[in-house]
Amino acid sequence: MDTPHMSSTHQQTQPLSALQARRTFLRSATGLGGIALQALLAKDNAASATSSELPPDGRPHFKPRAKNVIWLFMRGGVSHMESFDPKPALTQYAGKSIAETPFADVQSPEKLKKVRVVVVNDANGQQRNKIYPLQVGFKKYGQSGIEVSDWFPHIGSRIDDIAVIRSMWTTDDNHGAQVQFHSGRHMLDPRVPTIGAWVNYGLGTLNENLPQFISMGPRFFDRSDGHYLGPAYDAIKLKVDPKNPLAFAKPEGNVSRAEQKLGFGLVNQLNKISGHEYPSDPALDARIKSYELAFRMQTAVPDVIRFDQETASTRKLYGLDQKQTRAFGEQLLAARRFAENGVRFIQIMHGDGAAGAWDQHSNLKAKHSELAMQVDRPIAGLLQDLKQRGMLDETLVVFATEFGRTPGSQSSNGRDHHPHGFSIWMAGGGIQGGIAHGSTDEIGFHAVETPHYVTDVHATLLHQLGLHAHRLHATGHQRLEQDIGHVIHDILG
Amino acid sequence: MLHCYWVVSVHSHQPAEPNSQPTQINYLTQIKPLLAEKCYSCHGTLKQESELRLETVELMRTGGDSGPAIKPGNPADSLLLQRISSRDDDQMPPHGEGSPLKPDQVKLLEKWIAEGCNAPAEVVPVEPADHWAFQKLVLSKRQTEKPGNPIDLLLKQKRSEAGIQTAPPASRQTLIRRLYLDLIGLPPTQSQLNDNRVIAEIIDELLNSPQHGERWARHWMDIWRYSDWYGLGEQLRNSQKHLWHWRNWIIASLNKDKGYDQMIVEMLAGDEADPESIESITGTGFLARNYYLFNRTTWLDSTIEHTSKAFLGLTMNCAKCHDHKYDPITQRDYYRLRAIFEPHQVRLDPLPDETDFDKAGLPRVFDDDINRVTYLHQRGDPESPDKTQPMTPGVPAILASFEQEIRPIKLPPSAHSPGTRPYVLASHLAKAREQIKASEKKRIEAETRRNELSSKAVANSSQDIENFEFQDDFTTLDTTKWQLTGDGWKHRTGTLSQTKSTREPQTAKLLIEPPQDFDLRCNYTTTGGNTYKSVTIRFDQTENSGYANYVYTSAHAPAPKVQAAFERDNQSVYPPEGRKSFAVTVGQPHELRFAIRGTLVNIWIDGAFIIAYQYPNRRNGFLSLSGFDATVDFDSIQIESLSKDTQLRQANEKTATTVNEAEQAVKIADSHHKATIAHERMLRSMLHSVEADQLQQLSVADRQELAEIAGQRQAEWKLALLKYEATVNASDQKKLTLITEKLKQTEKHIAQIKESPIRFTPIKGSFKALESPADKEDQYPATYSHISTGRRLAFANWVTSDQNPLTARVAVNHVWMRHFGQPLVDSTFDFGLRSPEPVHKDLLDLLAAEFINSGWSFRHLHRLIVSSQTYGLGASTATASPDNLTKDPNNEFLWRMNSRRMESQVIRDSVLFLAGELDTTMGGPSINPGPEARRRSIYFKHSRDQKNSFLEMFDNADILQCYRRSESIVPQQALALSNSRLSIEMSNQIAKKLHQQVKSPKAQDFIHATFALILARPPSDLETEVCEQYFAQMKELEQVSSDDQIRSRFVQAILNHNDFITIR
Repeated sequence: MDTPHMSSTHQQTQPLSALQARRTFLRSATGLGGIALQALLAKDNAASATSSELPPDGRPHFKPRAKNVIWLFMRGGVSHMESFDPKPALTQYAGKSIAETPFADVQSPEKLKKVRVVVVNDANGQQRNKIYPLQVGFKKYGQSGIEVSDWFPHIGSRIDDIAVIRSMWTTDDNHGAQVQFHSGRHMLDPRVPTIGAWVNYGLGTLNENLPQFISMGPRFFDRSDGHYLGPAYDAIKLKVDPKNPLAFAKPEGNVSRAEQKLGFGLVNQLNKISGHEYPSDPALDARIKSYELAFRMQTAVPDVIRFDQETASTRKLYGLDQKQTRAFGEQLLAARRFAENGVRFIQIMHGDGAAGAWDQHSNLKAKHSELAMQVDRPIAGLLQDLKQRGMLDETLVVFATEFGRTPGSQSSNGRDHHPHGFSIWMAGGGIQGGIAHGSTDEIGFHAVETPHYVTDVHATLLHQLGLHAHRLHATGHQRLEQDIGHVIHDILG
Repeated sequence: MLHCYWVVSVHSHQPAEPNSQPTQINYLTQIKPLLAEKCYSCHGTLKQESELRLETVELMRTGGDSGPAIKPGNPADSLLLQRISSRDDDQMPPHGEGSPLKPDQVKLLEKWIAEGCNAPAEVVPVEPADHWAFQKLVLSKRQTEKPGNPIDLLLKQKRSEAGIQTAPPASRQTLIRRLYLDLIGLPPTQSQLNDNRVIAEIIDELLNSPQHGERWARHWMDIWRYSDWYGLGEQLRNSQKHLWHWRNWIIASLNKDKGYDQMIVEMLAGDEADPESIESITGTGFLARNYYLFNRTTWLDSTIEHTSKAFLGLTMNCAKCHDHKYDPITQRDYYRLRAIFEPHQVRLDPLPDETDFDKAGLPRVFDDDINRVTYLHQRGDPESPDKTQPMTPGVPAILASFEQEIRPIKLPPSAHSPGTRPYVLASHLAKAREQIKASEKKRIEAETRRNELSSKAVANSSQDIENFEFQDDFTTLDTTKWQLTGDGWKHRTGTLSQTKSTREPQTAKLLIEPPQDFDLRCNYTTTGGNTYKSVTIRFDQTENSGYANYVYTSAHAPAPKVQAAFERDNQSVYPPEGRKSFAVTVGQPHELRFAIRGTLVNIWIDGAFIIAYQYPNRRNGFLSLSGFDATVDFDSIQIESLSKDTQLRQANEKTATTVNEAEQAVKIADSHHKATIAHERMLRSMLHSVEADQLQQLSVADRQELAEIAGQRQAEWKLALLKYEATVNASDQKKLTLITEKLKQTEKHIAQIKESPIRFTPIKGSFKALESPADKEDQYPATYSHISTGRRLAFANWVTSDQNPLTARVAVNHVWMRHFGQPLVDSTFDFGLRSPEPVHKDLLDLLAAEFINSGWSFRHLHRLIVSSQTYGLGASTATASPDNLTKDPNNEFLWRMNSRRMESQVIRDSVLFLAGELDTTMGGPSINPGPEARRRSIYFKHSRDQKNSFLEMFDNADILQCYRRSESIVPQQALALSNSRLSIEMSNQIAKKLHQQVKSPKAQDFIHATFALILARPPSDLETEVCEQYFAQMKELEQVSSDDQIRSRFVQAILNHNDFITIR
């Protein structure tokens, strides 16, 4: 792959090794490479910044532990009690109303106050009083002996690399909590940037041929990320389809690569000539760079999602050999390849539908087991693959969902939305493996021990990337203490 | 956390030189932000509690009621330190008003005091009332009668004072292009570029062009948050259906140069200002856009926030939970403003010739519940209203000196009872007449049916019918009759078995084609299978056509069923009306029978009728048996022509089969017909009545009588309806009793009103948007409050009062920004205390005064701005004096024009326009934003769910908030502009057109023409050379076959030139 009319330092014919990447990264921070573009873009977006509010310059604030993030989000609400937070008491008290159990006080109004209702009188998102027994068994895995449900045996087998957080809470009892998990703000609040956009905003690029922030799979309610940071920080939506991976990736007409190369070359030559007339126009420089990146992206992106160099055993690891696991497995394999090539933030959502597939108001056992099967092997495969390639140390994997599900039953065989306590996990990127952090009460109702609001996950992630959340801000926009969160130090390695 | 307020107030000062002692505390970065966060909201300019302010060291030393707050060098004696360290009642911040300072923060303060309270010089923040933006405008006419544009006079003087040179003017062609793009959003054509008239004439022509309204409407649509409706499926959740009426109103208002004050009045209170003017009411689309199904507080929050930001440049939203931290706006102010909007709701008003509100309707607001009380939500929580004190409607106290009195408004009938508008009654009447025709047809059909049945004794079977008979009980497998596909078929005496459960084709095709109308019986047992366990009989098939009609049973465990289905273009369709649940069981023999006549099929299972269904169409073709995910034993099949005597049931409704049923059906049809007649009669007399009222030619008494006749007809219609209901429910004794009771009452009522007549009750003519998802539209009344509170009108009059210091300033700032790329006041939606006095406040005020004095005329304002020499300056910095570049690199003194990127809409419209492909039709409903569209981009559906992907790449307006567009530069824009179908196809068109014009084979001529058309300038020699090289290189490519192709690609490259998407 070559690019017309560019200095040779910008040409990359091979995916960057970690070292090369680091070097390019440091060099570009001095003003020549992608960072320069980034800085120009930032300048465009914050033309009025006062001296103390300059946007980040693309360098981490302190030595980072992680380079990339793979963000896996299960849309709809995974039952914490049937995945990573076993509650045998549910089986013991099955059929009783919560009021009849020793845990009646979980429903005291004071404890339920945090919830902010979006949809008034909704049929869902209600208190469910009749205890519903566990629908799946649990086993202990690894040296740590952490229990994981039988629906996630492969993830269980990687538990010694994983830190489970069993004490998450949020405040939206409806699926707008997906927005909340990504941005930290409730659906009824103004929209603010998502965590991926902040990472994109805060850090420089590791590969000048690829976007920094990629999303795959269905989107959540809110369809953009950058918000007041601007569309430059939105995720670029990709499909695992080398023929058509992103919007306008290929000419929608009969234009050959050779013609295009000459065309792009002409555009940049002419733009540079215009630079004589407008020597202090920063947009012109940025425009020239954007054409160079666009030209390279056209081949670089499809190259990454072409799996022909991957061995049969790697494909199998991600479940590409099985129908149920193939679709998600392909996205995860692409994620690894993107991470390997220096993409900062790879966001993958699982579970289609308006609310998200994991939304089992009924039929929990059948549907949850089916959905778990789609993701379990690919995710375990990803962790194993990252580890054997020596990438897990620098790649932070997050497994999350918008909320948990009620201890009580809904429509006889399901569970309702539950924001008061639920589980997520993190692995790699300097996170300690084999630990279960925090806890909910005996019936999985409230996060009781070291409760964590959703932005604590963001704070931890930024911390591992070497960023001070407090130093990421944009002119004219106030961030709340809650937007910033607190680093969960207990799970750091 | 950083506190924006102090950053702004020290903005113009250099920070103190870092002290040589490394340990010394930096007041500006360490102390001041802390005090700002914890203390300023009470001890700052806004509140000054206990007369104490802490915003500067001087103010701290002076102190308040309790004496000095600090004693430099003496922390122990400093009141400030004592109070923040206290854990008693005098602790600061007080309980509930902020968390106490952490120990390290206290230590920091202590150390700073001990060091002697070092700080640089500080500016004392102004008193809120002294804030620049809150000062009244001086509206007296300009005093100086110096010739020339006042903008230039002001700026020239300032530039010369600052020692900054003014750049040379732009070339005439650059200026013309700039004017076209700024004023109408389209580039000039070749002849327009070469227009020799004086510029003022061109400006006037552009300002009077209808496209000027389209161009500037899009700007205001950004600020006013235009969004088409969105929701889930057909469920409306946000904004309003048909909101495009408001978009058209914006365009039309600008094109007729309606005053901005009048526009605001119509947007906030058009229904109150002129309740009978459609135009005025259409303006309220501004408020209707904020509709939110799920949460009234969210809805009103949006209304308050964006009304304040758009018109006043105030961030009222910050005062929802607590008093504003930076501006003199209290939480009470917030809820007093909410009380202005509390009564209003949204509805669709009727439009002529249409009674279906999904098809047409005018979104508007109106005061619905005028007695609804507003309470302050404690901490912004709607669950905690402070019921001790209902909020009275009002404007923020700081600007209340010119508050307008609220006067309730008596509404005319057309407003509170839209069902009395003549055109509404006329369209209902037209619909009623169609219903009469339909009901009459039904009655005749019912009578015919009864007559047929009663004369059935008369024999009629002598006619010839097709005689088809086929029967097979599979004693043997006759391969001349059956053609088997797939390897799962097995035959043993009496049974043809499908033994392989698969979704692949396994069919037994009957080689004898059945007649068009046939009656089929099949006996079989589903013996097993995977998921669906379906046994299917297909017919009307031809080879590989992907076409079939079929009937099948499924023994799928959770939901076994019988289904009539069909396949078109290889897509299977399973219509719900062709489906019935039935316990089809594995291992149990079933008999499936179906009879088909034309497209109507009747299905029986195990001898019982189960489904009547109408196929969309039929074809001739063969029949086959198969299993799908199933194993099955077919025991026998019998097919014969369908006898003409066989009565099939109609799909959807029951058809009578006996004389008695037929007789009953006639009664029902007849009473329904009578009810439709009564309905039409009622509407007709209502129309007479309202028309008479409108014309006022008849006497009052006569008009009263007409209204009473309509009242009579209304009662008669109700009676006819009840009679119809009684007929329908003749066999349901319980219902009948209730109906009979109502019948009696209605008859009594009719007798009464014959004695003392009453006027009619209006019909429902509008469609109120649901207040919450729990509501149903039909629970809402037909008429609304006869009084509007007048709150919104009083508020609008306050916003547009010429004493309001904000409204005109905010508006001219928006206009200025869109002509110059940089606003005069940087925070376009926040003119509050955090917004420092702009460098060109005099210019801002001059423009605002001109604007108000011209009758709030945007056309006047545009003309004033674009006729200025300042606007006509060149944007180049190539020859700028080095002084300019060092003294004013950001062009604050406007010594040159700023280069700006076109907005997304202008890019797309321009590309189409240059190719001669832009459809300039104006107005109408929003269109689908697909790549095929040729209309101007402003007409695209624009909502959360519908956006044009090309426009999105270039920072399209965010529907939630867009006071200023971003101008990002990202690689996806390069991809969109080089790879989109739009760009490729339009390049071909432009190249073709240009080539025809140029009529020269020389590349150089084509290059010149392309530059002239797309960039509005000739190429330089260097550019020509580079382009000629491109032509030569292209010729050598093997992929390139023609000069046409080269020219197209060249045009495409020039469309990708930065100078094309840039307004220079």
